[in-house]
Amino acid sequence: MDIILEMGIVALMGAAATVAGAAEDLETDVGSQSNPNSQVQLAPQMGKPHRLYNKAISGEAPAYGLWCSTAGVTAAVLLGVKASPIVAIALGSLVGAFLLGMFAIPAHLGRIASQKRYNQPIYLDILRTHVFPIMGHGYVAVFATLVLCYILHYMLLHPFTLPLLALIWGITLGAVGSSTGDVFYGAERHFQQHEFGTGLNAAFSGDVVRKAEAGLRSSIDNAWFCSKFGGPVTGLTFGLIVFLDNWRTTVFHPDLGYGWYAVGLGVLIVIVLIMLNFMLEKYARNTYGPYKTLEEVGEVSA
Amino acid sequence: MEVILLILLLMIGGILVTAAVHFVPVGGAPAAMAQTTGVGTGTTMLATGSGLTGLVSAGFMMESVGYDISNLPLVLASGAVGAMLMICITMLMGNIVYIFGVGVVPSSAKVKFDPITKLRQDLYVSKGTEGHGIPTVSFVSGTIGGLLGGIGGSLVYWTLLEINHNPAMSGIFAIGFFFLNAVIASYNIGGTIEGFHDPKFKRLPKAIVVSTVASLMCSIVAVFISTGGL
Repeated sequence: MDIILEMGIVALMGAAATVAGAAEDLETDVGSQSNPNSQVQLAPQMGKPHRLYNKAISGEAPAYGLWCSTAGVTAAVLLGVKASPIVAIALGSLVGAFLLGMFAIPAHLGRIASQKRYNQPIYLDILRTHVFPIMGHGYVAVFATLVLCYILHYMLLHPFTLPLLALIWGITLGAVGSSTGDVFYGAERHFQQHEFGTGLNAAFSGDVVRKAEAGLRSSIDNAWFCSKFGGPVTGLTFGLIVFLDNWRTTVFHPDLGYGWYAVGLGVLIVIVLIMLNFMLEKYARNTYGPYKTLEEVGEVSA
Repeated sequence: MEVILLILLLMIGGILVTAAVHFVPVGGAPAAMAQTTGVGTGTTMLATGSGLTGLVSAGFMMESVGYDISNLPLVLASGAVGAMLMICITMLMGNIVYIFGVGVVPSSAKVKFDPITKLRQDLYVSKGTEGHGIPTVSFVSGTIGGLLGGIGGSLVYWTLLEINHNPAMSGIFAIGFFFLNAVIASYNIGGTIEGFHDPKFKRLPKAIVVSTVASLMCSIVAVFISTGGL
């Protein structure tokens, strides 16, 4: 394949991955999935009933592995009977989104019902208004992931089948979303009543913000807020992973005997990333300063 | 290739994955609330996500250069680089969220000075937390974890492909190997670890013993099942 065309395809994969990452993070914010949901779960026990969605079906990585691989299997079957790729991917993603919805409803109801003793009511309007945004964001995430898997398998001729690629990239997508965007949701959005930058004392656990700019806060408010930072960061992370990993083998194509150059380029990128992280750490230390002085830790005599 | 040698290679791959997970800085649920050092996700999830990215890279490289044993180092290196890229980008972006989204400084609560940069750590740990973000020592440790996990996963994939010549079947079994060994490591470290400077890292030998046994049993199963029976 012409290198310019291949570069364009790799860029398209990166773009699809960016959309997938952002949508995945927003789905896990509006549905409250993974680690930050521990705070939503804990709040009623701390005497703070809320109107937030509480599901956390499982860890994000296996959950997205399941949605994406189910969608991948459906798409592969449809492609097998000569359906158009767009139709196959769209219908496959729909099955993935329905599966997500099917898991989201009993997960929420079961979790909330178990908190009856803490006076946490089941709000049916929350269920009705949140399930469709969850499925909608899930659909976009699964669709974009399937697009990149389709490109990888059918255009770049990756040996793994479409469902297997969907499983792998679904797991990676979930791992990325859980590692980046969820921190913004868990550490910032849930604890906005505390001063920014003071850190989050473990004693504050369960003390989530329950009031919105107007009325009571729902998880749709959380998705709105997280779409300004957590979602895009997650998208950028997954997009960079997919793009950089494929870009290096496009520039130095292993077919032409440049395999070791591709490895070398990857190592170079890793070294640059380590240096960038060090610079970022230094910036944070200089900007925010220490939380304690040497006197406070008893290392300087008065 | 001799069956014994194939089983041995699968075991080495599994052990490498177990060792890799001990290097990956993960803080679990507390890290998602910036209450402990490391990436805010589960051990198994991050290590598997990273290793599987390496698996995709290794699969692509093997398809391009062929299955010949002389290409094994290139395939393993490609898997390692793919895994390192995934974990490094995730850790860097995670730090961006910690610094700009949450407003905390990457710092370790397990050591007073970063063993690599010699920067003071305890003064930058906020009140009531066990550190936050990914300081340089944890970042480098995570990179080493990606390297080992990528090599381990690719080795398992290459060996299985040697057995059954079916990329999809080999990929599925390699994912299974990854989860198996990642969970063993996760139990061993109790779900969270900061990296090789964490005292929990000393538990690694125990995990390697368990991983050897588990990988041996799964290798025997994999060798016979993935080819479609005896």
